[in-house]
Amino acid sequence: MNLRGLTCVFALALGIAGAAPPAAVEGRVALAAARPLPVVNQRYEIVTRGGVLATDPPVAIVYLEGPFPPPVDPPVAEIRQKDLAFVPSLLAVQAGTRVEFPNDDDTYHNIFSFSRPKRFDLGRYRSDERPVPSQVFNQPGLITLRCDIHEHMRALIVVLETPHFVVTGPDGRFQLGGLPAGRHTLKAWIDSRTTREVVVELDAGKTLRVDFPGAGNPAGER
Amino acid sequence: MTSPPDRGKSLRAARPSGGVRWLAIGVFLAVPGAATAGAWFDDLEQALSFSSPGGNLRGRVSGTLDLEGHVFADPPGLIESDGHALFSPRLTTFLDAQLGPAVYGFAQARIDRGFDPGERSLEARLDEFALRFTPSRDAGVSLQLGRFATVVGNWTNRHGSWGNPFISAPLPYENPTGIWDNEPPATSTILLQWSHVLPGLPAPVTRVEKRLRVPVLWGPGYTLGAAVLGAWRDVRYALEIKQAGLSSRPETWREANSEAWAHPAVSGRLAYVPNPAWNFGLSAAAGSYLRPEAAATLPAGRSRGDYRQLVLAQDVAFAWRHLQIWAEIFAARFEIPGIGNADTMAWYLEASQRFSPQFQAALRWSQQVFGTIPEAGRAVAWGHEVWRLEVAPAYRFTPQVQLKLQASLQRGDTGNRRFGHGAAGQLTVRF
Repeated sequence: MNLRGLTCVFALALGIAGAAPPAAVEGRVALAAARPLPVVNQRYEIVTRGGVLATDPPVAIVYLEGPFPPPVDPPVAEIRQKDLAFVPSLLAVQAGTRVEFPNDDDTYHNIFSFSRPKRFDLGRYRSDERPVPSQVFNQPGLITLRCDIHEHMRALIVVLETPHFVVTGPDGRFQLGGLPAGRHTLKAWIDSRTTREVVVELDAGKTLRVDFPGAGNPAGER
Repeated sequence: MTSPPDRGKSLRAARPSGGVRWLAIGVFLAVPGAATAGAWFDDLEQALSFSSPGGNLRGRVSGTLDLEGHVFADPPGLIESDGHALFSPRLTTFLDAQLGPAVYGFAQARIDRGFDPGERSLEARLDEFALRFTPSRDAGVSLQLGRFATVVGNWTNRHGSWGNPFISAPLPYENPTGIWDNEPPATSTILLQWSHVLPGLPAPVTRVEKRLRVPVLWGPGYTLGAAVLGAWRDVRYALEIKQAGLSSRPETWREANSEAWAHPAVSGRLAYVPNPAWNFGLSAAAGSYLRPEAAATLPAGRSRGDYRQLVLAQDVAFAWRHLQIWAEIFAARFEIPGIGNADTMAWYLEASQRFSPQFQAALRWSQQVFGTIPEAGRAVAWGHEVWRLEVAPAYRFTPQVQLKLQASLQRGDTGNRRFGHGAAGQLTVRF
C-alpha cells in the first residue's frame, strides 16, 4: 500500500470515528413553583385588556457545560410580544445568537434590560415595522426582559456558551441528543437562584438517564 | 482615636434632620448591588401577589416611595410653604385585582404631607378606589364606579411619579387662577384682586388666599363618580359623571354628602387612535366650581349650579422608539353671574427622549393667558399671563430605582417677582 492508500485508510478511519453515533441524555428536572398569575395595571386605560392572561408554566433549561466553539453562522431566535406577554417567557440561546422581538399586539411595548450581560432599550415600535428590532447576545449570563409600559411583563434569556441545551417540558422532562461522548458536566438551570449540576460519562450511541433532584434533595445544587 | 462613648456623642450631635433621614432610607434602598436588590424586589413582588388556584381571582399590591425636595424663590403651583425649600416624602401603594375576565378593581393609598406638598405633618389617605366591569372584550365597553382620575386629557396616564418625566404637573393642572371655590366674587374688582391684577387684598387674606384659588384642572381629579369607557375601531370614548368638577380641590373629592351630589359634573373624551404612535383627543367638561360650603355665600336666588366651569380641550400624543411628545390645550370658562364669564386658555408641549437604557431627559413649555372682564367701563384681563419652561433629566439606577431632577423658570404671577425659578429632585423606589 502506497502512501496515498495509507492516507485514504486513515481518513476513512477518522471519518468512521467522526460518524460515531452521538450520545444522549434524558430525564426529569424538579421545577420551580409556579408564580402567581400577574394582574395587568389598567387604572388609567380606556380600553380594558388582559382580563385573561396566558402565561407559561415553569420550565427549566438543561445544558452540557463546556467550552464549545461559537456558531459559524449566528443563530436567530425570537421572543414575541403577544397579548401583553412575552412568548416564550424563558429562552435559552448560545452566545452570539441574535434575538428578534416582534410586537404582535396592536399596542406599544417598550422592551428593556438592565442586566449586566446586556443592557438595552428598544423603545416603542409597531407590529408592522421592519426590520424587527433585535439584539445580539454575546456574553453568557442571565438577562431579565421587562416592558416599560406593562410592568407585569417579564421574560428571561439564558445565554450559554454551549450549543447543547434544551428547555424541559412543563412536566420537567427533557431529552438532549447529539452530544459528544466523554466526561462532561450536565447542568439544569431552574430559576435565577437555582442551578443544579451533575458530572456525567456519556457513551457514544447510548442514552443516559439523569434526574435532577427537587428541593428536598439538593445534591449537586450550586 | 475616638473612644466608643465619644463616638456615640458625636453621632448624637450629628443626628440627621427628618429630610436627611428619609434620604438616607432612599439611598439605602438604592445602593445595594443591582443583582441583590433585584432579587429582593422579586421576592417582595411575589410576597405582595396572590392568585387563586385557577387564576380566576388574582391581585397585586405595588407602590412607590418618593423622596422629593423643592427649592424655590416662591412656592410654585399648588405647593404651600412659607420658606424657600420643602421636603416631601410620599409612600404610594396600589392594589390591582382581577376577578375573571370581567371585573377589574384598583385602589391607591398614600402617606405624605398632603396631596399638594405643604409644611404639614404626614397624613394617610385613600385617594382612589374603583371597580370596572367589562361584560365582553368584543363589546368594547366598560362601566367604572368609584373615586378615580378624570378621563379628560392625556396627562392622567402618566401622572404617577415613576412614569411622569417631570416632578410637577403641567401648568393647566396646577396654576392657581383668581377663582376661589369657597365663595364667588361679588364684583369684578374683587375678582381682579383675587387674581393679583389689582392690589388691595387685606394682609390676612394674602397669607391664606393661595389655599382658596383653583386651577383649570386640579391634578388628576380623583373624584367620586361613574364612567363609561370603551372603543369602537380606532375611536376611544369615555364619559364620566362625578360629584365635582375638574377644578375641584382634593378636599372636595372626599366629600360624601347629598349637597356634594347636588350639582354633578359631566366630562367626556373622544380620541382617535389610528395606530399606537398617535393619539388625538377632544375633551369637554361642565360642572360647578364652587364647593358645597359656598352655597351660604351666594346671592339670593342663586345656586352652585349657576357657577359653572366649562372646559373644551384638545390633546395629542406621539411616541416612537425613544421619543415621546404630548401636548394639551384647554379653553376654560368660569361663569360668574353678575360679572360675566372669566375665560382662560392654558396649554403645554412636553417631550421626553431616552438617550440610553438608563438616562432620559424631558423638556416642557407651558403657558396660560386670560380673557377680559368689564371693570369700570373697560375690559381688563382677569389674570396675569404665565409661562413656564421646565427641563427634567432622569436616571434609572435599576428597574426599581429612579432619580429625577427638574429646573424651572416661570414668568408671570409669582408674587413680587416677574421671574420665578425653582429646582426639585425626586428619588423614587418602585416595588
